[in-house]
Amino acid sequence: MQVKWRNNLKNGCRHAALAPILLLSGCAGTPFWIFDPKGLMADTNLFYLLVDVGIMGGIVGLTALLVIWFMWRYQKGKNRGKYDPTWSHSNTIEVVVWGIPIIAVGFLSYFAVTGTFEINPYNPTVITNHLKPVSDPVEVDVIATDWQWLFVYPQYHMAVANDLVLPAHTPVFFRLTSSAVTTTFFIPQLVGMIDVMPGMRTKNALESNHVGEYQGIASDYAGAGTSWMTFKTKIVKSADFREWVRKVQQSPTSMTYASFNDYADPYINVHHKVAYFSSVPDGLFDHVVDEVMKGKTWPIPPMMTENMVAYMQKQNAEHRD
Amino acid sequence: MLVDLAGGWNPMLGRLAWSQIPYDNPILAPLFVAVVIGAVLVLGLITYYGKWTYLWKEWLTTVDHKKLGVMYILIGLVMLFRGFIDGLMIRTQQAWAVGPHSSGVFGATHGYLTPFHFGQVYSAHGVIMILLAATPLLVGFMNIIVPIQIGARDMAYPYLNALGLWFTAAAGALIMISLFVGDFAHNGWFGYAPIFELQYSPGVGVDYWIWTMELLALGTTLGGINILATIIKMRAPGMTWGRLPIFVWASLASNVIALTSFPALQVALALVAADRYLGAHFFTAGLGGNLMLYTNLFWIWGHPEVYFVILPAFGMMSEIFPTFSEKPLFGYMTMVLASMAIAGVSWLVWLHHFFTMGAGPYVNSAFSVATMLVGIPTGVKVFNWAFTMYRGRLTFNAAMLWAIGALFLLLVGGLTGMMLAVPAINYMVHNSVFVVAHFHSMLLTIVYAIFASVIYWFPKVFGFKLNEFWAKTMFWLFSAGTALVFVPMYMLGFMGMTRRLDYVFNTAWHPYLLVMEFGIVVYTLSVLAFFALLYVSVRDHASNQVGADAWGTSRSLEWLTHSPVPFYNFAVLPHVNARDEVAWRRDNGIDHVQPDHYEDIHMPNNTGVAIVLGGLTFVLGFALVWRIWWLCAFSLLAIIALVIYRSFKGDPGYIITAAELEQMEKAAMRREARIGKQQHRVGSGVLGEAIAYARSDLPSLASQPGSTGGLDHRS
Repeated sequence: MQVKWRNNLKNGCRHAALAPILLLSGCAGTPFWIFDPKGLMADTNLFYLLVDVGIMGGIVGLTALLVIWFMWRYQKGKNRGKYDPTWSHSNTIEVVVWGIPIIAVGFLSYFAVTGTFEINPYNPTVITNHLKPVSDPVEVDVIATDWQWLFVYPQYHMAVANDLVLPAHTPVFFRLTSSAVTTTFFIPQLVGMIDVMPGMRTKNALESNHVGEYQGIASDYAGAGTSWMTFKTKIVKSADFREWVRKVQQSPTSMTYASFNDYADPYINVHHKVAYFSSVPDGLFDHVVDEVMKGKTWPIPPMMTENMVAYMQKQNAEHRD
Repeated sequence: MLVDLAGGWNPMLGRLAWSQIPYDNPILAPLFVAVVIGAVLVLGLITYYGKWTYLWKEWLTTVDHKKLGVMYILIGLVMLFRGFIDGLMIRTQQAWAVGPHSSGVFGATHGYLTPFHFGQVYSAHGVIMILLAATPLLVGFMNIIVPIQIGARDMAYPYLNALGLWFTAAAGALIMISLFVGDFAHNGWFGYAPIFELQYSPGVGVDYWIWTMELLALGTTLGGINILATIIKMRAPGMTWGRLPIFVWASLASNVIALTSFPALQVALALVAADRYLGAHFFTAGLGGNLMLYTNLFWIWGHPEVYFVILPAFGMMSEIFPTFSEKPLFGYMTMVLASMAIAGVSWLVWLHHFFTMGAGPYVNSAFSVATMLVGIPTGVKVFNWAFTMYRGRLTFNAAMLWAIGALFLLLVGGLTGMMLAVPAINYMVHNSVFVVAHFHSMLLTIVYAIFASVIYWFPKVFGFKLNEFWAKTMFWLFSAGTALVFVPMYMLGFMGMTRRLDYVFNTAWHPYLLVMEFGIVVYTLSVLAFFALLYVSVRDHASNQVGADAWGTSRSLEWLTHSPVPFYNFAVLPHVNARDEVAWRRDNGIDHVQPDHYEDIHMPNNTGVAIVLGGLTFVLGFALVWRIWWLCAFSLLAIIALVIYRSFKGDPGYIITAAELEQMEKAAMRREARIGKQQHRVGSGVLGEAIAYARSDLPSLASQPGSTGGLDHRS
């Protein structure tokens, strides 16, 4: 029942509410990523956004109109409204002005709590409640370095840097950590933000039924290379995904603990370089978390903090590009 | 050395070296030359006009709460300007560095700021705007207005008040000198763990950030103690809690927050300093550190701080709306309750600054609901202001326009705040420019309230009004700038643009960034309008003089004394009879009554100790940043010695005799008579009026015996 009501809201009201914005941007895909979700998680986010804006927008809008009306009616010298120089209290109004916010907050609190559980990054019920035996979820271990993303596919013993490819109609479960500083993993059209922290493990999940390419962003400041720390997320058909896995597994490069050590050195990914690693040691993710907890860091060279152009020349000279 | 330092260290100069002076930086070097020329010019002018003695005696050593407040506001306005320039630089970089084909200059691959420089600019922008612009501006207003509103001659601790100001000034100087010596932190105003650790921030920038914030926290805590003590202990006779002006209530709530929360910041920063100076591991990722502990500690202060700055702004609005609606504030009691409720709830919501940390759904739900609770008292306040206008007689002068602007911005900020309070929405817009637009809506609410207050209280402090035309011009320019910058910013938030990008990878965002750049140009015009406002107002000050009740419809006690307020505030402490005392006296026809006789009053002496302590604190901060240990030891010992010396010396104060007082009062009354806006009936022969100033419980006072109401006050 609730689901049906919600679907109506999503498909009907959403288009009505967002029509002006969507029309502005034409048919070529809206630039308003938050209003154009392509996955279950982002879809749920938008539902709560619409509920909240619906309720609060109504109250705020009416209040604004009230203030404007008072401003018009009680302007000095216009004699539109009655002047009462001593009127400063009314129990009825007090009840109303406390009552409206209390009711609104009570109502929104219910949605806030249910929403928090539905897209709880550790166990998002919008995905986990509908898991089928045939779902066969994909697991991805995300390791953020300064300033690249390494996506390890433990089920396929392979890894990809700065490119995330996932099958459609399939739940995907992430584990995330960082080798350097704190940043945030964010794919606006698919899943909301989750912090990625060194020495710690967070989780997230997504599921999308829309084949396409979506932008991924490091949305928390992580130092000099943050702005280039982006990645493309490609949702592909299952067959294409299997094909892609085979392609990665045939890559000549592989990753070991030692080569991860080199890979994790600060690197600004100006050219959005993508790298395939045909094999990774099992447990690389836990290994990185352990190393960082033991005190391992990959310090930033002071030079990077001075001159970007000079640093990029150095980075190129080292043939890391 | 307990930690490894990049770039060497020597016992004499610490980490200081010629290479730390950015003389080759194409932005900073010319700026430095300009600053030096400007400074020489100002110092030269002071010398030329022989104003050094005046400056030292009347301003630098003063303990007068009004002058200290004016200096707080001056620091606030100067830093507001600096912060605005930072904002201009941020907007320009983001409008320029869009897409892989955008050009780059000055060592940046795109735009004109390298990532590290850009990080410093927005970090400085945040620290300055919140702690060195908004906070001093509000503390300045509380300093000036609170004692006059409660009928006190000065703060409870005048010397401590001066100390708070000079600590703030030292912090301002420290952050300004980081422009030209070394660099500033790039970790945002709130700092991230572990990016502020030595491995990721090897320079001195983070150290500047630590000691600037520590000094500001110290200054604000001292100020908080002072304002609380003043409100609790220094109220004039008859000024019961139920008659306290609403701005005083707001200041009370706000400083309860300051006193209780700023120590948390000081501890958090001290632990960061331990990591960076002693090689500790409080907030490192490894070796037992816990980086989210820092985030928790910071926001345990950081969120109450947000309400520390918004509550006085609400108080200002609550004073301005009734004056220009010509009727009392609607729902005084609920307004007080709402302020206290906001102060209380401010302690329960800090986690909403990092919903995305990955806390469980129960934790996030609890903080989400707590956050939304803030919306209740805030909503009540908005309704109360609306109903203050209801059945009023509204004058839309410049002060009122700014206050109404604040109200509408608060509505926008409230709407978006209620969105951010829901984790399911927050996940999508957290760390995006949507959040940036939200808290700018809230902080601009404060800025609007501040400009409203500048216009509203300026005549009280200086005795003449600001120019209405330029104040309104500035308002409309500022509002146009606000709309042009923040409407596109909200839209960009819905497009998924994240904050702090020094290079914008998505060219679809470019048009919006260009509109924002245009908006910041309009803001620049409003800054020019502000300069014009000051210039024109000072030029025409002779024709804009006002008497005690500058607006004619004022309500609270500060409008009872002369404008400009004499240094002793009230020659005879007034007896307070009503919530809106001046309105009450006006309604009862005794608003022009002056005291019939004067008695000696006791005032605190000026002291040079506060400014010297401020200077030494600046030296200590600078020495700590550069790790010049001998200088640290020297300045710290000097501070301790000076504090001990002063505590033995004490301040006996001095006496203004009744005769002197009468002379000064007569002069003030002659001034008012000349202005002609106030008709004083001193000694008019009406029985009872002579004593009505100090004691006027009843409009008809014929049978009341004489009273010295409150003359036993000593500061």
